[in-house]
Amino acid sequence: MPQLKERQPGQKPVQSNTNTMAGPRNKKSSTREKLTDTFSGAVRQVAAIDIGTSAIRLALAEIDPHGQIRRLETLNQSVSLGRDTFTEGRISYETIEECVRTLSSFKQVMQEYLVSQPEQIRAVATSAVREAANKDAFINRVFIATGISVEAIDEAEITRLTYLGVWPYLRSDSQLAVGNNLVVEVGGGSTEFLHVTNGNIAYSYVSPLGSLRSMEHGDNKDTGRSDLKHQAEVLVDEVLEQLQGRENIHLIMLGGEARFAARQVNPDWDPSKPAKIHSTKFFALCDTIQSMSVDDLVETYHITYPEAETLAPALLMYATIAKKLRVRKLLVSGITMRDGLLMEMVQRDAYSREFNRQIIRSARELAIRYDVNLSHADEVTTLAGQLFDALADVHNLGSRHRLILKIAALLHEIGQFVSERSYHKHSMYLIQNSEIFGLGQQMQTLTAQVARYHHRAKPSRAHSGYASLNRIDRLAVSQLAAILRVADALGQSRRQRISKIHCQVSEALFVVLVPGVEDLTLEQVALQDKGSLFQDVFGMEVKFRRKTTTA
Amino acid sequence: MSTNTKTKPKYFNRELSWLAFNERVLEEAYEPGNPLLERLKFLAITSSNLDEFFMIRVGGLSLLRQQGIRTPDLAGITPAQQLEAIADQTHHMVEKQYTCYTDELMPTLQQEGIQHVKRDALNAEQTEYLKRYFHDELYPVLTPLAVDSEGEFPRLLSLNIHLLIRLKSPDSERPESRIAVIQLGGTLPRFVTLPSEARYEFMLLEDVVSMFADAFFPGEKIQECVVFRVTRNADIGADDLASDLVAEMEEILDARKESACVRLEINANSTRVSQAYLRKSLGVTNRETYLVNGPVDLASFMGLSGMGGFDHLKNETWIPQHAPEVDRQKSIFTILSRRDILLIHPFESFEPVIRFIQEAADDPDVVAIKQILYRTSKNSPIVNALMRAAENGKHVTAIVELKARFDEQRNIDWARTLERSGVQVIYGVKGYKTHAKVCIVVRRESQGLRRYMHFGTGNYNEVTAQLYTDVSYLTSEERLGADASAFFNTVTGYSQPQNLAKLRAAPLTLRDTLLEMIHAEITRKKQGRKAFIKAKFNSLADPKLINAFYKASNAGVKIELNIRGICCLRPGVKGLSENIRVISIIDRFLEHSRVFYFHHGGEQKVFISSADLMVRNLDKRIELLVPVDDKNARKKLIDSLETSLKDAVKARELLPDGHYQHQQSGGRGSKWRSQEMQYRLAVKQARKIAQAKPTVFEPHLPIQDHETT
Repeated sequence: MPQLKERQPGQKPVQSNTNTMAGPRNKKSSTREKLTDTFSGAVRQVAAIDIGTSAIRLALAEIDPHGQIRRLETLNQSVSLGRDTFTEGRISYETIEECVRTLSSFKQVMQEYLVSQPEQIRAVATSAVREAANKDAFINRVFIATGISVEAIDEAEITRLTYLGVWPYLRSDSQLAVGNNLVVEVGGGSTEFLHVTNGNIAYSYVSPLGSLRSMEHGDNKDTGRSDLKHQAEVLVDEVLEQLQGRENIHLIMLGGEARFAARQVNPDWDPSKPAKIHSTKFFALCDTIQSMSVDDLVETYHITYPEAETLAPALLMYATIAKKLRVRKLLVSGITMRDGLLMEMVQRDAYSREFNRQIIRSARELAIRYDVNLSHADEVTTLAGQLFDALADVHNLGSRHRLILKIAALLHEIGQFVSERSYHKHSMYLIQNSEIFGLGQQMQTLTAQVARYHHRAKPSRAHSGYASLNRIDRLAVSQLAAILRVADALGQSRRQRISKIHCQVSEALFVVLVPGVEDLTLEQVALQDKGSLFQDVFGMEVKFRRKTTTA
Repeated sequence: MSTNTKTKPKYFNRELSWLAFNERVLEEAYEPGNPLLERLKFLAITSSNLDEFFMIRVGGLSLLRQQGIRTPDLAGITPAQQLEAIADQTHHMVEKQYTCYTDELMPTLQQEGIQHVKRDALNAEQTEYLKRYFHDELYPVLTPLAVDSEGEFPRLLSLNIHLLIRLKSPDSERPESRIAVIQLGGTLPRFVTLPSEARYEFMLLEDVVSMFADAFFPGEKIQECVVFRVTRNADIGADDLASDLVAEMEEILDARKESACVRLEINANSTRVSQAYLRKSLGVTNRETYLVNGPVDLASFMGLSGMGGFDHLKNETWIPQHAPEVDRQKSIFTILSRRDILLIHPFESFEPVIRFIQEAADDPDVVAIKQILYRTSKNSPIVNALMRAAENGKHVTAIVELKARFDEQRNIDWARTLERSGVQVIYGVKGYKTHAKVCIVVRRESQGLRRYMHFGTGNYNEVTAQLYTDVSYLTSEERLGADASAFFNTVTGYSQPQNLAKLRAAPLTLRDTLLEMIHAEITRKKQGRKAFIKAKFNSLADPKLINAFYKASNAGVKIELNIRGICCLRPGVKGLSENIRVISIIDRFLEHSRVFYFHHGGEQKVFISSADLMVRNLDKRIELLVPVDDKNARKKLIDSLETSLKDAVKARELLPDGHYQHQQSGGRGSKWRSQEMQYRLAVKQARKIAQAKPTVFEPHLPIQDHETT
């Protein structure tokens, strides 16, 4: 907190004697001035906004210096984004204005809690905005009207945010922390599956079947429902096939409809803890809801029309999953995407260690599946990381690119599974088309490109994949590929003899000092094959030298 | 009581129950134990109460009858039957009012030196004075309206006093008399003070005008001057009627073109000719005509009862006391960060509530203030503080309820002023009256943002806070803060209703929560455990809640209710309600607080609320039910509630037949007057604190000016 200059040394204290309430009044500092100083306290206020298919939601919270989150307010307002996008392919003018009005009023409340700076606000939009033909128009209109910049996030990002939100929650429960958990959220435009065992992500999938999207097909309610039931069953079968180990699985349901069910079964439910619902009770509630009209639901449960419209299909999906899994107890968590967004803000650096660990783990599993020589892959990964760090001042890339480099290093040889010939190209498309948890589409593309250029041809705009990147991404791919080539050359012996290197950066020379080796010939030969990209990109020649232990 | 449930309906009619309430107020006007001017005040209150009753309730029922709607009420009677029963009761009541005025109060007032002088008792000086007064002050502003025998009767203002003047035509060939009407009222004072030595002598405006009315009609002779007053049905809002009468009401209101005359009051001294003429001209039946034996509009005697001097004829002043919880040397936020504060007004001063908002306005750490304003006073210090807060750069949001009956214009005025100073003003919620009383202050502290709340049962009005019993609950409890904010966001339309942790709001969950609490007592009783309900509020007319109380009574749950006004529940009937006891207190302060106390297996669940248990409050208003979980606050609240339930002086008990009877239980020796007990307690507490502290000179705060008036 800023120290108020209340009294100069030697100056007489000024006391207001006119009334007994003088306490706070005699501070003459301007409130307005103070209010704009948003980060003066140790505690910071933040806002997470989630623009979903049927509602816009705001979570206002405080983050203390220990990273503890304290929720201040939650607001939500129904909107018909999903309805527009999933039927018309675009968001109507009326809906855009409705969203602007909602966000303007949210902004009002945010200001009451000292949230006004862009770095305090994270606003994301999901499928209804992402898939709308006029996505950019929507995002621009919102920005111009409210100053809130909205990011339309993809499935991988959604999964990542869900994991960020859900993991601290699972970890705080002794059973779930080490358990076998299937986290499911039925949204308006998609259904998300996240299989977490022992705190690790074993599998994740986002299906484009949602409570609102399926409904838009049939106008007859009954055929719509049975159609949905069928689609849900097919989807769940597909997902369950992918699950390894379904014994003692906990089904953890997220989402507004799941929370509704939890409150119906247990009105005193505290959403900060999991609600346990017996499956028979859940199925009974589900049947009741299915038998009611939307009007009845609104009347009986005091919910809004948009909420009532998604209630029956969402519960049907959950019930289908629960039946297929044959679980007795269903868990409902109060965690939402906003919790993930808030967690992300807690960690500030979005690609936190824990999350990076998950992505790398997922990439290693892919490597194993394609029979990659893991010890070589790991060695190159470690070396690439060290080179990246040593060159930090030269490339100016951040942690996101470091992660891309490491995954490209892990997977650079997976193309050999297909064929030794031109394996780097096979690596590229395998990486491009595999499921790597948490790596968004864009990062996955970059990773594939880096892997492709670790060998043979240098990046060229004649290559269609490379050419389709923007200038900044092209530069990043070149830089990362150059580093990967050097790391790969260092790992050429395939005996994991090099683990720690020292680097010297000078005007035109980049020297890698390798301790504890007798001979670096093999590596130097390999470098000659691969090294010129490095010189092209960084303008430095690379030299490998033995580092003699000096006494 | 051997009342059989089969022969008597399970519920009382709400209109008759309301009339019974007014009857109890009238009893206080008869009560010789009350100071004389207080008795006059009670009489005036019964009259202004009746005015509103005719405009709203009788007006509504008349509309229903006109439309031929026969939907019966809870007690099974149709609108037409209700109107008949109401007329019987009110004719009787009006008679009692005037007997009180003429036989009880006026002679005694005269002995005390307050005299209503009649025309023939004026002395020469007074007559001369009046003559001048009439010509200087009245004649220039009064305009008689001639009534054409063929044409329409002029449209007269509701509740205004009028004079009907019958003139004898000088033309003997046309013997029928000419008629004129003079509208009195507006800004003219009703009481004309006469020159007098040492006494207070007054004459009423209509009598002065009658005396000199010749002046308006030169050359004509006045046959008769008749004082009369009409009451029209008011501009009835859906909130007043729709939900508890019938659903068609709203359409009826839309369809209605002109509000009809529902009551005609005529001075009983008038001739039958004039009476018949007025009835015919105004389209009023005999039943709707009230011949009054004295001045019309006794409500205006409120002004007389409050005039300066004559202190020995008024209540001894009970100055609201300083609550010991509130240390005046400390910031209210410092106090609230450590403890909750519960205040019982008006025994304890409303000043801490005003201070709460004033400090918030000036405290540089306060970021935002959000408040709901329903009715407030002129020059309200609270409104001023909100404006200052906005000018100081804080985010101030005020929800202003424009639909507060009879206060619409005032509310619009100061709402505009608020807006000009930078307050974000939101004008209530479409279709609902925002009746909840809550204020939230968001303050930045080293640990983060902290919310401070005030919840009340009464309005943010420092004047009525000295006349009504109400409860204030100030707290910084985290979950109440989150709930209050979420509630506020719902009312402002910023968010859809959220699931609240502790607060309950009408129209969504308030009734259901009370029903659940009642049912929990039933369950416990059935398990053989202790169970009881104690509560105090103003009206009980919601059938769902009444039925729940009946069910609880049948299960053996003891229920004690202190209901000031309407009560449709029939207590003390075997097999229906023998475990329910209902009392009503009419004393110097208007009983206004709403407190609900459930034993809840020893957990003691206590709530305060802005809501009465009527259909309209629970379905058509935004109301709050606030749990008081803080141990000290809860104990204080329970003590206050139990004190009121023990009243043996000003409480009447509701009998199974619908009559109210004075408490006899304590015997002659017991003089447990709950308002007095509570005031004495507040004085004792305040004194104890004052004695424990070193002398501190404290300046007078603005609010204390009111306390002495």
